[in-house]
Amino acid sequence: MRDFLRWQKRNLVTLLMLAPGLASFFGLFVYPILVTIVRSLKPEGQSAGWTLENYINFLSKPSARGVILLTFILAISSTLLSIVLSVPLALILREKVRGHRLLRLTILVPITVPGLIGAFGLLLFWGSRGWVNLFLTQFVPFIHEPIRVNYTIPGLILFYVWHYFPYTCITTLSTLESLDRSIEEAAAVAGANGWQVLRHIVLPLIMPGILAGSVLTFMAAFGSFSIPLITGGNYRPLSVEIYTQIDVFTPARWSMASAMAIVMAALQVVFLSLYMRILRRPAA
Amino acid sequence: MLSKKVWVIALVLVLLGSSVVGAAPLAQEMTYTVKLGDNLWTLAEKYLGNGAAYPAIVGATNKKSIEDPTFAYITNPSLIHPGWKFLIPSKEAAEEYLATYVRPAPEKALPTEITMVDTNSGSNFQAYWQTVVLPQIEKDLGIKINYVVSKSSEMMERMKAWEKGKGDFHLLFVKPSHVADMVEEGIPLETLFPDRLDVIPNLAKCPKEYLKTAVGVPIDGKGALYWRSQYTLIYNSEYVKDPPTSWKEFYERRDEWRGHIGLMRPNSKSGSGRRQPYSFLYAFLGDKIEMPFDELKETPEFKDAWAKLTEFYAAAQQPLAPEPSPNLFERFNAGETWISFYAMDFCLWSRDQGTMPPTIKAGFLSEGMTAGSDGYLVVPADIPEKYKPVVFRLINYLLSDKQQVQLITTMWQYCGTDIWDKVPDEVWEVIPRWEDVEPTRIRMTNKPLVDYIKEEGPALLGGG
Repeated sequence: MRDFLRWQKRNLVTLLMLAPGLASFFGLFVYPILVTIVRSLKPEGQSAGWTLENYINFLSKPSARGVILLTFILAISSTLLSIVLSVPLALILREKVRGHRLLRLTILVPITVPGLIGAFGLLLFWGSRGWVNLFLTQFVPFIHEPIRVNYTIPGLILFYVWHYFPYTCITTLSTLESLDRSIEEAAAVAGANGWQVLRHIVLPLIMPGILAGSVLTFMAAFGSFSIPLITGGNYRPLSVEIYTQIDVFTPARWSMASAMAIVMAALQVVFLSLYMRILRRPAA
Repeated sequence: MLSKKVWVIALVLVLLGSSVVGAAPLAQEMTYTVKLGDNLWTLAEKYLGNGAAYPAIVGATNKKSIEDPTFAYITNPSLIHPGWKFLIPSKEAAEEYLATYVRPAPEKALPTEITMVDTNSGSNFQAYWQTVVLPQIEKDLGIKINYVVSKSSEMMERMKAWEKGKGDFHLLFVKPSHVADMVEEGIPLETLFPDRLDVIPNLAKCPKEYLKTAVGVPIDGKGALYWRSQYTLIYNSEYVKDPPTSWKEFYERRDEWRGHIGLMRPNSKSGSGRRQPYSFLYAFLGDKIEMPFDELKETPEFKDAWAKLTEFYAAAQQPLAPEPSPNLFERFNAGETWISFYAMDFCLWSRDQGTMPPTIKAGFLSEGMTAGSDGYLVVPADIPEKYKPVVFRLINYLLSDKQQVQLITTMWQYCGTDIWDKVPDEVWEVIPRWEDVEPTRIRMTNKPLVDYIKEEGPALLGGG
């Protein structure tokens, strides 16, 4: 009996301590999602009745497939490029080379700059009269015409990487720095060359860091709005299409926008669970 | 009532007393500039022979300040500043004034701080309000304005929830469609024209048809017209020496500027995405564009105009300019875009600011050019009564010739009042004359056509 009371008391305390977290989880996450789901199932502009027509209308549009595909291409390729960029950068920074503190701070710049401002800056920087093209046409032989970066898919991916790679880079770096160096030394003593140490020792050990960071990069890139809005040109992923439903059409198409948002969320969840399952395997 | 009686009796006694004392009463009204150490009581004593007659000076000066803003407007008689200009009435006029004067209860002193919500201005006019007009208002009228930029849909929701007399923003600066929406939603607004002409005399200079209707909806004088915004041909004279003078010419000569015509995505947030194709179609369809869209769509004229529109868009710079105007402006700066159709005031202002090339010019397309968002000043009826006189005075000030001419000379925005003879001639060397623009102003009244452009435009014209 006494034990039971103590057990009950402990549970009550736990519950109380969980309360703020649960409240914000429901208030800030579950409730808005529910509102969006309900709105997506209502006929446009009406509050009565239930319908699936918003989903059907969106998914049956020939352009919808292209939009979804584009969203994935942008998010996946920028995530992969972020990893490719982050791992060597982290390896260099680990050695505490001269100026590494400045470099560490510089890496944070893209996340601290607001997306809108960053996007405009990138457009100017890479434009036909921007610094990059100015340099290329002035100093590089054989390049006389400015190269086109703005409003192209490779350009868009470049801008995404610039804006979202810090998530991957920072987590990779912190995992790498917490590695016990003696493991690598042991491998080297046992006869492994630099590449082998990296391939078989370091990379598997920092994989959880890469995974966690790249998931962050993927999520941010998948939902990216200001970068494609301003620098996308004709390439407009889901987030921009949703915004168009609300801010361009009058009266705003809230139901259609909600349906698109739910489709977007569902795709993201499905993809992330697959991604985590695949990438966890080698580390396990 | 009792207090009024007591006051009148006291006044009569005082006036009698003063005439007995026999100071130097004024036979004629005079202008007086405040010096250090003056106060209204001593001025009234000196010129009207009686300190208690000071409200007559306040009344005369405030009345004068409506027609001539160089005169001070006294909101608090115990606070006057050296340099303020007063009108001191003749003793006779002062007595007449005081005979009907009711001393206001102290708490009824006019507010000196009001809140203004702006749902219309682009970044150019947001800067203009904040750096130019608001300081002028504070200096000339002694009114401090809390300037708030917001969205019309949000403001509508807030106003619907107001209790009578409790409204907490006192002046709105809005698009014509927003005035129409508020009237249609039944949000109570002050009828300015003609009901308030006595306190807003400058309202008489606004064109009546703009005060009667906005975007086709009868608004019956519930707004004052502050400015008129116009889309025009915009071109860089460095590249375009001989600009087209009509849409048809623009279309015929499109190859000259192929790849350098700056057009906005049909489904951009900016209205230019629709104003550009709508104006083009109007040039070929004329008033036929008003036909119900289902019928219009099947006419050979529409099919022909739309085919030409498609050819025109194919000659534009690709991809079409995305969302905000800085994107378009940057293309002008890069020398990639040479010619476009856009908000004249925004382009020329940006040119003056250095964010567009200095060689940018505005031109005229004869068949018609879409109106931009005209700017209306609106007073919600549910604000506390004591704010209304202040807001009316402010509106009168904003419609004064000085303020209106300043709009066109510094911001390249057409005035809301018809005072074209007061505009310096140099202005017309830069922008088309209003009498040329006015008859060709198009409004996008065929909403299904506008929706068609938004919906199908990206796939049919580019930007899909």
